[in-house]
Amino acid sequence: MEKYDYKNLTLDLDDEGYLKDFESWTEEVACAMADKEKISTECPLSEERLEILRFMRGYWKKFNAFPILRAVCKNVHQAKGCNYKQFPDPIVAWKIAGLPKPTPEVFAKIKYTP
Amino acid sequence: MSDELKPDELLDKVDHSPASGSWMDTTVQIRPGIFSYAAKPESLETLSAPNPRQWNPLDDDWKLPENWQEIIHNGIKERLEKFRTFKIFMDVCVRCGACADKCHFFLGTGDPLNMPVLRAELLRSVYRNDFTTAGKILSKIPGGEKLGGGRPMTVEVLKQWWYYFFQCTECRRCSVFCPYGIDTAEITIMGRELLNLLGLNIDWIATPVSNCYQTGNHLGIQPHAFKDMLDFFTEDIEEITGVNVEPQFNVKGADILFITPSGDVFADPGTYTCQGYMILFKYLKDKYDLNVTWSTYASEGGNFGFFTSHETMKRLNAKMYAEAKRLGVKWILGGECGHMWRVINQYMDTMNGPADFLEEPVNPITGTKFENAKSTKMVHITEFTADLIKHGKLELDKSRNSNRVMTFHDSCNPARGMGLLDEPRYCIQNVCDNFFEMPENTIREQTFCCGSGAGLNAGENIELRMAGALPRANAVKYVHDKFGVNTLGTICAIDRAALSTLCEYWVPEVEVYGVHELVGNALILPGEKKRETDLRMEPLPGMEDDDE
Repeated sequence: MEKYDYKNLTLDLDDEGYLKDFESWTEEVACAMADKEKISTECPLSEERLEILRFMRGYWKKFNAFPILRAVCKNVHQAKGCNYKQFPDPIVAWKIAGLPKPTPEVFAKIKYTP
Repeated sequence: MSDELKPDELLDKVDHSPASGSWMDTTVQIRPGIFSYAAKPESLETLSAPNPRQWNPLDDDWKLPENWQEIIHNGIKERLEKFRTFKIFMDVCVRCGACADKCHFFLGTGDPLNMPVLRAELLRSVYRNDFTTAGKILSKIPGGEKLGGGRPMTVEVLKQWWYYFFQCTECRRCSVFCPYGIDTAEITIMGRELLNLLGLNIDWIATPVSNCYQTGNHLGIQPHAFKDMLDFFTEDIEEITGVNVEPQFNVKGADILFITPSGDVFADPGTYTCQGYMILFKYLKDKYDLNVTWSTYASEGGNFGFFTSHETMKRLNAKMYAEAKRLGVKWILGGECGHMWRVINQYMDTMNGPADFLEEPVNPITGTKFENAKSTKMVHITEFTADLIKHGKLELDKSRNSNRVMTFHDSCNPARGMGLLDEPRYCIQNVCDNFFEMPENTIREQTFCCGSGAGLNAGENIELRMAGALPRANAVKYVHDKFGVNTLGTICAIDRAALSTLCEYWVPEVEVYGVHELVGNALILPGEKKRETDLRMEPLPGMEDDDE
């Protein structure tokens, strides 16, 4: 188990840095996770980033799955490859969205760079 | 992707100079980048597999059961009695070395224990010691074990087994060159099965197997998500073609059940191949009233169970026939996958059959009998599509792929495991204008593996994968330099992921395409609008200006 302090928050993370409780996620938690993952120090995160995170969370809640990346951009009405632009590694986006570690095959199938 | 080791640095590390001393005296050095993480206990628990626990291959203590030697001994004994091939392969090798330089992992790493003959000796030496008369006698004489090529089973030997049986992709290239026909893949299969008895599996295999057992596919995609993913492709295809290709799910009384690896519905570039299947099925429905159904139950073509044990493979495979029976289809059509076809072609009918409730497959549109699938009742989609093309049943516009300068990578299992060599090429050459073969000792039966098959496609294993990918990449680079090849065609879901990484690392100018993505681009759907983009939503050749 891991803790991460950010402003007034203490994140409760698992050994690999994934948020332990999906429900404890807020947009401020996202700021803290983004800071920890060295993606962004700004808070709140940009609307483009937040749209992607909210979609991933909604998708997980409904389908218990990692979404098709092309579908993410289409659904949030952003340009193709938006996830790579906003978060170079899709798995890191997933992490900042407060979601649990995906199944190993996802790692191999998801391209790390656009 | 490995940022640490650049291609030139990896090349510099390859050293093929002979090692000094006997291979039996070597100790195993498990090195990060060359192994995959251990299986998680919860994944093994789902499968009721032995010895679930947290363990780390880098630790000295692998938390083995107390009687592990007895388990291994009995495991070998049982398998020698059950599998005639195993017994023969243990006995007949004369260590001629014909296989030695045929393995992509040996070529790419220079590690002598990656010579197929030595990888097999890891197990064969224990067999000789424990199960042959000569071995039993010699083991009683000081130093005698080595005279007979035997050695007792120790923790050190076990660690070598684990390290090197997970440095083999079971591609069988070595077996093509063996004068005795020894299938070293079967030795790896037995080695992994024995390791499995002690809970020594890797996570990249065990968790997909566990997912598949629980939800029907390796990625753990549930039925409603599976449908949602295909719905997304339907929307994209409609945007590109103006035609609604909505697929059918779980339809009783459909003509054909279609099953493909789950990677095809999830990740690029496999998703484009999936869109190609959907376009084809829509075409066949409109033109010939052929009903193809997808299944949200049998939603995985691949079978990682094959990389753990025969029993697990059988359990995962069972849903194919079960679903075909439930739906009452005539026969099964299978998508572009690699090891899936070894399981189907060589095991399925005797393992979970006979499928006497299915018909011997006949293409209802052309009348062609698929003799190769007479017993399994499952046809490979490139054989099906090639047959349709041969009989002039598909309207194709090759010019839509004219920006693709193609070569074709024979996936190991369809090529060597079922002899599927010409059909994919026939499809490609009928939907693309530019096709160039890689050198002949790297294709067809002699194809080089992608380096990431048989469950080794894990991120942490990247150095091994890129080293093993080197011979294949070298051939791709050759046709890229000589003919300007920019596209590597393939018919395997692992390949679509693995070769993309391979190209990115070794030959970044080359992209990876599934064969049915190219078919989907070329196929003219009844009532379609003028297409401006390909399935990747990139402008079609000649349309680039319109897009600006």
